[in-house]
Amino acid sequence: MKRMQPHKSNYLGILGWIWGGNYRIERYLYTLHRVTGLGILLFSLIHLCVTTFFRMQQDSWEAAMTILHNPWFKLGEYLVVIAFAYHSLNGLRLILQELGFGMGKPVPPIYPYRDSLRKSRRWSMALIGTAAVISLVFLYDFIVGG
Amino acid sequence: MKEHGPKEMIFKVRRYDPERDAKPHFDIFTVPVTRGITVLDALLYIKENLDSTLVFRTSCRMAICGSCGMLINKRPHLACHTQIEELKAKTVTVEPLPNLSVIKDLVVDLSPLFEKHKLVKPYIIRADTSEMDNPTAEFYQSPEELESFLQFTYCVKCGICISACPTSATDKQFLNPQALAQCYRYCADTRDDGEQERLLSVDSENGIWHCHLAGACSDACPKGVDPALAIQLLKRRLVARATNLAKKRKPAPTVTPPTYSKPKLPFPQFTVNDKTATVEG
Amino acid sequence: MKNTYLWLAQLVTGILIAVTLGIHMVWMHLDTILSALGIDATEPTSWASMIQRSRDIGWVVLYIFLLAFGLYHALYGLRNIIFESIQSRRIRLVVTWSILAFGILAFAWGTYVPIILLSK
Repeated sequence: MKRMQPHKSNYLGILGWIWGGNYRIERYLYTLHRVTGLGILLFSLIHLCVTTFFRMQQDSWEAAMTILHNPWFKLGEYLVVIAFAYHSLNGLRLILQELGFGMGKPVPPIYPYRDSLRKSRRWSMALIGTAAVISLVFLYDFIVGG
Repeated sequence: MKEHGPKEMIFKVRRYDPERDAKPHFDIFTVPVTRGITVLDALLYIKENLDSTLVFRTSCRMAICGSCGMLINKRPHLACHTQIEELKAKTVTVEPLPNLSVIKDLVVDLSPLFEKHKLVKPYIIRADTSEMDNPTAEFYQSPEELESFLQFTYCVKCGICISACPTSATDKQFLNPQALAQCYRYCADTRDDGEQERLLSVDSENGIWHCHLAGACSDACPKGVDPALAIQLLKRRLVARATNLAKKRKPAPTVTPPTYSKPKLPFPQFTVNDKTATVEG
Repeated sequence: MKNTYLWLAQLVTGILIAVTLGIHMVWMHLDTILSALGIDATEPTSWASMIQRSRDIGWVVLYIFLLAFGLYHALYGLRNIIFESIQSRRIRLVVTWSILAFGILAFAWGTYVPIILLSK
């Protein structure tokens, strides 16, 4: 039988990380974890450059801070704070679940199936809720403190 | 659907013939459906009445062989196991499983699944090969020990978990959820002593550490195998080994079966036609 | 076992970053709430505050640890993301060494600057 040449582009590719299909929320918590991680990495590299290059003299520091006190930059900073809150709390969930804590024991499958992530969804949502509360606390200070 | 008479439904099926088509395209079919019809029934209707060139895999039609995995309305299902009603849509879009190469129409190349499954050595490995080759007795296993891995034995190798996994979308060398779950199934089996051998392929650059617990594999699994749970429990085992916290256990010993076996029927012994058996009590 | 240790280090640094970066974030952004609690953290982006923290050994140690943990965690994560997209062994080797070199350089630069300031 002649071997058929498979069509290569049936792989979802990097877009498959972002949206793979109609799956439940934990699949998209993974996507958000990746996006926030990359966002924080990018911010950290820029932050490292700014806080090391401009700190030798007071004039250059204060000039840099004046530019960075622009509302658009403050909004960007707040997004980094939210990203950190989400990434750290989701990361805590991942640490616990990837080491097998809170995942339950294997049970013979009886329909309708409830997988281990579905069973621990309450705790996952509690952690995400905590991240939301932390974001609101920081929002208060951003608005009040400026 | 409240009415019981036949109704029509639109099916958009992705077609691709590598000998004729440059790229895949969708064909639209109108199929009469009634309550209780599955996607597989509809595909068979299309093949029998509308377009006999449509190609798909099917065998048992009862969700035990794993042949008919397909992407139905953007979610992988077994076509025989998916009622049209449960899709709650006016149009049904049927595509081949993603993250696997397409051979033709809805048939995908499952050889990566089988190759990676072989890599994790999915069989009992023990040092006493003479007992394995010429068994004299059973290996002891309690019901609790069985239940610690029984769920993962229900895998039908359909490939749906690979389609759901976001890592498999880009990483062709990733040991997919199916292989990793089966690796755990054998490592957790108390009769087995081959964990050290299996972990060489699992603890590699394309192994278990590219799993980030998206959980879509367990979400999509049509048999409730929960491969995500198996993979995280396998990570736990690997970490326990690396930090020397692993419980060392010997593989299950053999148990000589009893020489006298009670008759299975609740009748007195003299009614059983076996002159060598003795009566108890 | 090497990959297991690298992954475990990712978890451990993750927790340590949550603590150290948490302290940094609270100090930098929650100045209104902190002053209500009696802690003086006014104008944390000002020159005076920055110099004061740069001369405090506690803060310097915190920042050096944060930099070390942050660089490891972020660069290991980035390496994972790149490895999931690229299959070639040669390119992966180049990526690993580049990331390692970048991490060491960034750490050296990031610690050199506060230590210079500390000694002023």
